[in-house]
Amino acid sequence: MGFILTFLARRLAQGLLIVLVVSFAIFALVRMAPGDPARTILGGMASDELVEQTAREMGLRDPIIVQYGRYLAGILQGDFGTSYIKSESGGASMGNQDQIRSARASVGSLIGSTLPYTLQLAGLALLITLVVSIPIGIAGGVHAGRWQDKFAVYLSSVFVSLPNFWFAIVLALVVTAKLGWIPSIGYQGFAYTILPAIVIAVEMSPIFIRSLSVSVADTLRQTFVEVAAVRGLGPRRILYGHVLRNAAVPILNLFGVQVGALLGGVLIVEYIFDYPGIGLLTVQAVTQRDFPVIQGVAILSSAIFVVVNILVDLAAARIDPRLES
Amino acid sequence: MTGKQATLLEVKDLSIELIRGQERRPVLDRVSFSLEERAVLGLIGESGSGKTILAKAIAGWIAPPLFRKGGQVLYRGRDLFGLSEADTRALRGRHIGYIGADPGSSFDPTIPVGVQIAEKLRAVRPDIPMAQAAKRTIELLDRVRIPSAARRYREYPSQYSGGMLQRAMIVDALVAEPTLLVCDNVTQPLDVTVAAQIVRLLRDLREDIKAGILFITTSVPVVSEIADDLLVLSKGRVVERTTPARMVAAPEHAYSRELLERMPRIWTEQPPLRSTVDAQAARAKAGGKTQPILSVQDVTKHYSVPDRDRFFGKQIVQAVRGVTFDVFPGDNFGLVGESGCGKSTLSRLLSWVEPPDSGSILFDGKDIATMSARERLTMRRGFQLLLQDPYNCIPPNLPVGRTIGFSLQVHGAGRKEIQEKVDAVMAEVGLPRELAERLPIGLSAGQRQRINIARALVLEPRLMILDETLSSLDPMEQARLLDLFEKLQASHGLTYLFISHDLAMVRKVCTRIAVMYLGKVVELADNQTVFMKPAHPYTKAMLSAVPVLEEKPYRAEDCLLEGEPPSPIDIPEGCSFRPRCPLAIGRCAQQEPGLKVVAPHEYAACHLAA
Repeated sequence: MGFILTFLARRLAQGLLIVLVVSFAIFALVRMAPGDPARTILGGMASDELVEQTAREMGLRDPIIVQYGRYLAGILQGDFGTSYIKSESGGASMGNQDQIRSARASVGSLIGSTLPYTLQLAGLALLITLVVSIPIGIAGGVHAGRWQDKFAVYLSSVFVSLPNFWFAIVLALVVTAKLGWIPSIGYQGFAYTILPAIVIAVEMSPIFIRSLSVSVADTLRQTFVEVAAVRGLGPRRILYGHVLRNAAVPILNLFGVQVGALLGGVLIVEYIFDYPGIGLLTVQAVTQRDFPVIQGVAILSSAIFVVVNILVDLAAARIDPRLES
Repeated sequence: MTGKQATLLEVKDLSIELIRGQERRPVLDRVSFSLEERAVLGLIGESGSGKTILAKAIAGWIAPPLFRKGGQVLYRGRDLFGLSEADTRALRGRHIGYIGADPGSSFDPTIPVGVQIAEKLRAVRPDIPMAQAAKRTIELLDRVRIPSAARRYREYPSQYSGGMLQRAMIVDALVAEPTLLVCDNVTQPLDVTVAAQIVRLLRDLREDIKAGILFITTSVPVVSEIADDLLVLSKGRVVERTTPARMVAAPEHAYSRELLERMPRIWTEQPPLRSTVDAQAARAKAGGKTQPILSVQDVTKHYSVPDRDRFFGKQIVQAVRGVTFDVFPGDNFGLVGESGCGKSTLSRLLSWVEPPDSGSILFDGKDIATMSARERLTMRRGFQLLLQDPYNCIPPNLPVGRTIGFSLQVHGAGRKEIQEKVDAVMAEVGLPRELAERLPIGLSAGQRQRINIARALVLEPRLMILDETLSSLDPMEQARLLDLFEKLQASHGLTYLFISHDLAMVRKVCTRIAVMYLGKVVELADNQTVFMKPAHPYTKAMLSAVPVLEEKPYRAEDCLLEGEPPSPIDIPEGCSFRPRCPLAIGRCAQQEPGLKVVAPHEYAACHLAA
């Protein structure tokens, strides 16, 4: 038990550092990119003096490190800032400087209202991925060189060569528009999650299938697996009790890395399907130079990534105690 | 053990072939023998004689590319090859126990050792409840003298030492009370003192386990300790069935005689007197003021590893704890000790792969630490390291000649010069010329080791460090390379530093020997003294554990150690050898003995020596 606590404390401290570094990098990069948010807020017609004055009021002319410090202080009080663009009602409040801040949406509430949709999409995508990959990958590893293995390879090759944007458009056209089987585009209920989730799952499965096959096949070649049969253990017990257990460690690590790909996949797929999640919010924020939203999403993503990887490492160390040190 | 006992195992005309692609090669050729209930049959043969395949055939473990060509393995009259999968499974582990040569990778690394043994017992005896299986496992772990067995039950394989894992394998094989036990080369991966303990343990267990044992080994002295009868296997055939006593006294078959001839000899072997005398004469000629070619002065090296139980905690592994010795030109200096004693760390320090924490290493009277990068490069020319594993240190994608010449290239030699030197050195180490253009694919370990020697020799070094260089070679090849080393020494005036656990080899070639235990030199003297009149109890224990057929000057019973070396993380206070020492006195617990002179040129770190 003592081990888990020290492990968590140590890793959370490291994780916090990572999130800080990432958030600062994002913070600095957004501000170095061309495009002035004050101009965006005020619109193309506003005079240069007004833009300059607004920028000063918003603190955009301070050194980046000062701005960052102010931002961190806000986060500590639970304030992630307010969007430059979005209003509470959801629409953009472009060029309407009279009713400025009060009407603008806070980043916290923007993320809070979109995150559940994205979690639902990511969760379903992951579920489909695992349901497809686990049986196919394990069968491919156990029967290396036989048809199960070849099937796993061919299926992965097909999946990996489908570009996600193309596949998304085709699915929307055929399944939703032509056949009318499953709705998509926008969101009016759970069914709208299915097609985007399939697209993400198709993107992620090949990696899991291949890694599982390789990992299972490698574990099967280990001496202790061969010896287990001679020691008197039955094949079922060897596979489920020992082979899968050992093969799971690399898969867990892969999962930790793939969370990043999952987040990236969500971005594109949500945009294509006009799915109201974090991804869509991010794409809009980027095109509109909505700094506070971009930063909030970046911090959230890196925090998710860090937490998932801490959990993955903890789970891996529970399986294989040699990883504890 | 003659007469009316029932036959437990009968192998009849068993032939096994290896078939892989176009390759078709007999591995076992009409092997026949029988083993009575509760008897111990030894099986001896060199590597490649087919003995492991035979062990596997008896344990029901013959899988492609191995195929049975003919014959039977009858366990209590039932042919193992004729059984259904289910019947085979019912025999394996339950009635036939198997202990292999690889205890380190025989357990699942992710599950506690005890749990795996209990799991195995429950797999072959589902009628035993889990609690009882656990209790029985702990009892047996205790029986094979694993300290604090109840705690060890919950520990993982990585927390066990090699010797303890082999004991756990014995428990695993015995837990279901089998009637036939196959021990395949069980002492091979272990250090001599631990191997001696395991053999002693099996001999003690023999009486109460009621199983017939097939004991397979490469060592005649080991098998003599335990077996009633002995089979000699050569190239897949049984060439002789005899008793251990007759095997030693009057081997009949030519191969048996050859095998016996090749068994290590320590006390009837003459030490390399000539070179000792030469080295001493050379030193005397220089007026006793010969400068050592390598001087190691109070060198230490610690590593810190994270402590799992404390936040930001660290544990200190004291790998080398103050080692001092000199190697003189023309010496064959031997550094011996068991695994974990710090030999390999020391060899990394000597070759300056990493610097020591404190102390200094002088090459030719010059401190390596104060050398400039250029000086160090020049020094490295004179100072070559040869490693144990001949496979991983040769680039597979370079022709052999390029590999050998590459180090010259590093040191800035011209193309023509490289070509000439490579040709010369290849001829000298006995590599055929045409090999220079070939890739090192398919070369034997011996040939690969020659490539390594050539690669070192081409730089015309003065000192060669041989870190277990010959350990992975079979005895024939080992003898050939030792001859080569001797020849090279004569023609190039080389000095060797042998780092090894192979005491028979050290006895044969080394002039001066340092014995290491837990990161310290505990004894340093010339060959004859170390082997005939050792001053330190550890040296004596180690020597008494070496399996040899000769009469030993001291009895193993008097000095064989209990337990295993402590971990270099928790070094006992006072003398680090005290917990295992049969002679320890009160003072040993308080004060750590330093290396002191016991006779001219003889040093030992023991309060009782002097």
